[in-house]
Formats: sequence, structure tokens, C-alpha cells
Amino acid sequence: MIQKIKASKSEKIIFIFIICLAIFSLGSFLLIKDKCLFVKDYNPEKIKFEKPNNIAVLNVPCGNVIIELYPEISPNGVKRFITLVKSKAYDDVAFHRVIKDTLVQAGDLEFGKKENIDYGKIGTGKSGLGTINSEVDAPFNFKKGSVALARTQKYNTEDSQFFIVLRDEPLYETEYTPIGKVIYGLKALEKIKYLDKSQYVLRPDYISTLRMLID
Amino acid sequence: MNLIRLILLSLFIFTHVQANTIYNLIKIPNLEIYEINKSNKLRYLYAKQPFTIGVDNNINCYNSEKKVLNEKFKIIQKNLDRYNQKFLKKINLKYIVLCEDLSISKINTAGIPDHIMKTLIIDIKFDERYFERVIHHEVFHIINDSYKEIFDEKIWSNFNVKNFKYAECSTCTDKIGLDTYRETDGFITEYSRSTASEDMAEVFSHLMIGLSLNNSDPILEKKIQFIKNNLLKIDENFIL
Repeated sequence: MIQKIKASKSEKIIFIFIICLAIFSLGSFLLIKDKCLFVKDYNPEKIKFEKPNNIAVLNVPCGNVIIELYPEISPNGVKRFITLVKSKAYDDVAFHRVIKDTLVQAGDLEFGKKENIDYGKIGTGKSGLGTINSEVDAPFNFKKGSVALARTQKYNTEDSQFFIVLRDEPLYETEYTPIGKVIYGLKALEKIKYLDKSQYVLRPDYISTLRMLID
Repeated sequence: MNLIRLILLSLFIFTHVQANTIYNLIKIPNLEIYEINKSNKLRYLYAKQPFTIGVDNNINCYNSEKKVLNEKFKIIQKNLDRYNQKFLKKINLKYIVLCEDLSISKINTAGIPDHIMKTLIIDIKFDERYFERVIHHEVFHIINDSYKEIFDEKIWSNFNVKNFKYAECSTCTDKIGLDTYRETDGFITEYSRSTASEDMAEVFSHLMIGLSLNNSDPILEKKIQFIKNNLLKIDENFIL
């Protein structure tokens, strides 16, 4: 006759502990796997904008980033940006330079495209439209979320590359051409892939799409 | 002890790439912002720790005590406030680095201008007798480097007497005295005799400081007019 064995108190505690550990491990795994878990995805259609013509929507792996452009501050810079956005030139272009909690940079149309990315030359590519002059004279507060055109060490070399600062950068005023500011979705940019040891990212995240709200 | 080592090692391994904005902009490490809210948009930075830069790390400068920094900043700011934002943009000067015991290839120097990086490094402990003057002297080097074609050294050299020759470089001579001559003979200081560029910088700095110069010296008079006329070519509103 088989005797029914009753679990001791300590066995019950161990069992509960194992169950808790399993739940914790599974939860942690899901959290680590999904980097976008707590990032809110903004739907621009549901937001009212004062100047909808100046709104650009950048779609990245963790959702939408909504940028208000400032043509009154940098007319030529914004014009160039809009030209490239309307031609869908930024789609599938890498965030090739990312510094954690500091900035994300993208827009190398020559060497940063997903289908023919060139890690040796990325960051040096051109758009084919030529360079434009820097617009750095107007006062501009480079607060967190500011969007500006990148350039070489020299002024008047802006082309297609742009960056977004993830912290206040007061020294960038009069240094870089500001074109706008992120008004929603900055958290999605903070999740863009970065490397610990280098500003330049191997197997980077890409811009999914970049569109004007009103085409 | 081992635990401390382990912690230090892990810090080294897991430290993220540092986002030093100042270094990215002007390629000088160990600097911090001192003052950036000036109307002429000059950015004053100071050495938080000693730094070494340049070819073969030949430029060195050290951090200063806060008290010294505060005192000297007032003097530097007063002098540099005379240049407006428009003019500074034209000559490509934006960052002023404050540090002490500045040297290049182990030779002490008052300042190191770099118009490419828009930077002027100033030794805040340079001889107080000449301190204000050398600020303008170094600014002139920025002006000169940005407008080499205007400040033509051949034209300048022709102002001097026929048999006079400058040295090959400012550090290849022992003519380094900075006292202003009472009786000039085409040169304001001994250092003026070193190179054409230093000569121009000496004339300019004396004009900026407002020291009365010998009107009866025809060579010096030509040099003064040369500087004044060329500055007006850069900025028609420039006031000496």
C-alpha cells in the first residue's frame, strides 16, 4: 500500500521559491529582450499642432519621434531637410553615431543606407545636393531634444546629416545650424543602439521612415 | 584590497564612451565651462586638470586656483569685451582657454592662438606688467592667421630700413623683451624685431591698450597706418 507523503514546510518554501525565481527570470528575459517596453509610441494624428506644416515624424525602432521644425530660425537648413524628407531619402538610413544619453546622429545618405552600409566611410557621405551655408547667428538654446544639421570641422559644410541632442548642450549655440526640436517621443531616441567603447555603431539602428505630417 | 581592485577594474571595463562636448569641439581635454553667457558669444573655458596637446604632445598647460582664475578672468573679459561678436566671427575666434604655466616645446608662452579651432589659450599667470597687452597681441595672431593675404609680410618688412632682417621664427631669437621703447626706431619693443608677424602683433596690442606711440617715427607711423587700414578692411566699424 502506497503511503501518501506530505510535503514538509521547508519543501513547500523551496517550491514557492523556485516558482518565484522562474517568474522573475521570465519577466527579466522579456524586459531585456524588449527594449521598447516602456516607451510610449505617439500617434501624430491624435495630436493637435499649432503649425502642422512644420511637423516631421521620424519613425524609429521604438516608435514615433515628433519634430517641430523652425524655418524662421534656419530657413535654408530646414528647406534642405524638408527636401530630403519629401524625397524619402532618410528611409532606412543608419543612426551611425550615437553617444549614450548625449546625442544620436543620422543622415549619411551615401554610406549609411541599410542595403549598402559602408562602415569604413560612414559619416563622410553626401546627399548629392551640395553643401549649404551654416545658419548659426540667430540665438538658439540647445536644450535636450534640439535637432541640428551636422557639419565637418568647417562652417558651411552642412548637407544631409543631422543630430538630435539627448541632453542640454549650450556650447552648440552658434556652432551648429538648429533646424528644430523634438516635441514628443524623445524616449524612443534614448533607446537607439549605442556602443560602450565607440561613438560609431556597428550594426546600428535605422530610421524606418521620416515624413512631413502634411505632405 | 582585491574587492577594491575588482570594483576599479569593473569601472574601467564598463565605463561608457565619454561624451565630452568641449573636447569634441576644440580637441583640448580636461576643460570645463567658466562663462559662456557673454554678449560677444565668447566661450570662456578653464583647465580643470593639466592638459597636453599638439604635435608630439608639445603643448602643456596647468589648472589654476579658483581665486587666481576669478581675478584674471575679470581682466581678460574686460579686454576681450572690446571685440564684438561680428568681428570675432570674422576672425574665427570663439573659445578662450584659461590655464597657467603654458608652454610650447618647453618654452613658456603667453598664449597660443589657433584660428582653425577658433581657440586662444591664455596663460593667466603671465607677467602682470604685460598681461593685458599680450591678450591683444595673441588676438592679433588670430586676425593675422585668418587674413594672411591682407597682412602681407613683404609689404610690412619693406617699411623697415633696408639692411634689417627679421629672424626665421619668433623662438629662434633672443629678442624677447616686451618693455615698450621710450625712443622707437621703427620698432616698439625688442620682441617686435623677432618676426614681421610679432612686430605687427606688438603694434596692434599697443594700439589696443592705448599707449601713446612716437609720432615722429616715420617707420612706426607707416606700420600703424597699415594695421589700422587693414583692420577696417576686415570690419569697417572696428574701433581701435
